[in-house]
Amino acid sequence: MGNKDGASIAITGSGIVCALGTDKESVQKSLLENRTGIGELRYLKSQHKELPVGEVKMSDAELRHALAVAAEEEVSRTALLGAYALRQALEDARLSPQSLKGRRVTLISGTTVGGTEATEQYSCGNNTQAIARMVGIDCELSTISTACSSALNAIILGTRMLLCGETDIVLAGGTEALSLFHLNGFNSLMILDHDVCRPFDATRQGLNLGEGAAYLVLQRTPDAHLQGSNIQAYITGWGNRCDAFHQTATSENGKGAFMAMTEALQMAHLRPEEIDYVNAHGTGTPDNDTSESTALRRVFTENMPPVSSTKSLTGHTTSASGSIEAVICLIAMQSRFIPANYGWSTGTPDCITPVSKTTQKELHHVLCNSFGFGGNDSSLVISDKESPFDDVPQKDYILTGENEITQEEELKELREYISPMESRRMCKVMKAAFLTSLRAIQKAGISKPDAIIVATQYGMLENGGKILNTIHEQGEEGISPTLFMQSTHNTLAGALAIHLGCHGYNITYSQGKESLQWALRDAQRLIREGKASSVLVGLHNHVPPTFKVVLDQQGITEQYEIYSKSIIIKSAL
Amino acid sequence: MEELILELKEQIIEVLNLEELTPEDIDPKAPLFGAGGLGLDSIDALELIVLLEKRYGIRLASAAEGKSIFTSVENIAQYVSQNRKK
Repeated sequence: MGNKDGASIAITGSGIVCALGTDKESVQKSLLENRTGIGELRYLKSQHKELPVGEVKMSDAELRHALAVAAEEEVSRTALLGAYALRQALEDARLSPQSLKGRRVTLISGTTVGGTEATEQYSCGNNTQAIARMVGIDCELSTISTACSSALNAIILGTRMLLCGETDIVLAGGTEALSLFHLNGFNSLMILDHDVCRPFDATRQGLNLGEGAAYLVLQRTPDAHLQGSNIQAYITGWGNRCDAFHQTATSENGKGAFMAMTEALQMAHLRPEEIDYVNAHGTGTPDNDTSESTALRRVFTENMPPVSSTKSLTGHTTSASGSIEAVICLIAMQSRFIPANYGWSTGTPDCITPVSKTTQKELHHVLCNSFGFGGNDSSLVISDKESPFDDVPQKDYILTGENEITQEEELKELREYISPMESRRMCKVMKAAFLTSLRAIQKAGISKPDAIIVATQYGMLENGGKILNTIHEQGEEGISPTLFMQSTHNTLAGALAIHLGCHGYNITYSQGKESLQWALRDAQRLIREGKASSVLVGLHNHVPPTFKVVLDQQGITEQYEIYSKSIIIKSAL
Repeated sequence: MEELILELKEQIIEVLNLEELTPEDIDPKAPLFGAGGLGLDSIDALELIVLLEKRYGIRLASAAEGKSIFTSVENIAQYVSQNRKK
């Protein structure tokens, strides 16, 4: 199936909840007044009162009440925030849960920590399920987990599925609540600013964490017209690339970011000077802002458009940041202004000069950046006019290199492929993923794949579990930075990309038992789109013994403690 | 000091998962980072900061501060003996 009718993709609804406000109107007001939502910790029970955060100004109880969720129902704050924002998006699109019955609807949500305060109870996929249940929709579900770029990748996936005619209505975005897990984890990396963060400023000291959720309703433009929807804007380009440099740091020349932005502009058939505004990833860490500035300068050269990071207003909302910032872009386009880079005052040669005051401007094309751990860099172009995507011819594919391991014993064979120094930080699931992936590449007779897609049900639970134990036993001190930076689900795909030097499309699915199906579908879609001619796909699972006890109690059987399978999908010549 | 140096070597091997090494393999004067030494990286530096805090009660303000301390095992021992709180 090729690109359906050379279609363009319309945004017909949006919803948002973050530190700036609990709906689009209040967020717009805060943006126009350039008032930050970052302040002292109020809702999360943490000892770190010295760390400013961007909390959503609603307690769990208030969110439950608003959503009519019973007090005894077990549900994470991440899912509550997600449901709260998604319900707004549906209302905005004038779609009732009732009206969606019998239609092809797909909810794609990006989340990582996803209530990891109790990983035993919630996995990423469970959160998405809980969101659909609370909102009252019964539809196809997918969960993307590429750390801080998860939500933008969810929007990209939705766009592609619509273009390929796989679904008719997409609800895409992401959600993440603050947690002791990642507040302490980021703290162990020593990249949290103790004042309100100042992206791109000479004095920046790091980021502030935030929380929230945002979702877009996406439809093919002809469908939106037919339905009489109010089209708010169009998705006209996207880029997903991997920095393949370091698990958490960014490369000095911003390679991944540069490639993602370039790809997005090319797809949108736009010259750099046609971009009216860039909503930067701009976390406020010395590394990110330097590297992103370098990438921006490489893309835009002497035509640098107005750039701002809105993270000093919202805090870094991690997995949700991509969709939160996409909705901020939408608000800016609709109300004709450029949001300010709050708190910026001092320029520095290694950074671009952002827009420091809210500025009125007509916005036709906006670029939104979202980068994550694992070097998962994505960019999205949102436009006020439709611009059909190029038609894509259908290509056939073949499967090759398939192999699997089911026993820990087999992990010893990894020595044949990588050195002890390289494997010293690897947990079991990482070793398994490397072993089957490298075998698949060898068997398929390729040097490296064009793209890497990982499916994982439980992610890096071995590491995440150790962090939770530390918090449980020793309180909020002494979290291992190595474990934290290897706790996100996309650690595997990121590490494989680094090892293989693979800068192409890179994504991680965590949708329970369906994870592998989603990964395979995506690989086939990439081949059809002509975006890759070889894709490494893997399913990698590890069920640590302590977690197995919990699964047993829930009546869930996992046959293997360790399971890994890799396949190469190649385009047929 | 000799005792502290040995203790630090053992700790470093443990927290940085340098399974293939024994304390004898680490020259107390050799650089820990970069070429010509152990070849540790920035993640290891953060782990060493956690180690100082957990084991010796020393809290560093920034990763940059660690850089001047983690030049060699001998230097770390010197710093620990002067600043330890436990």
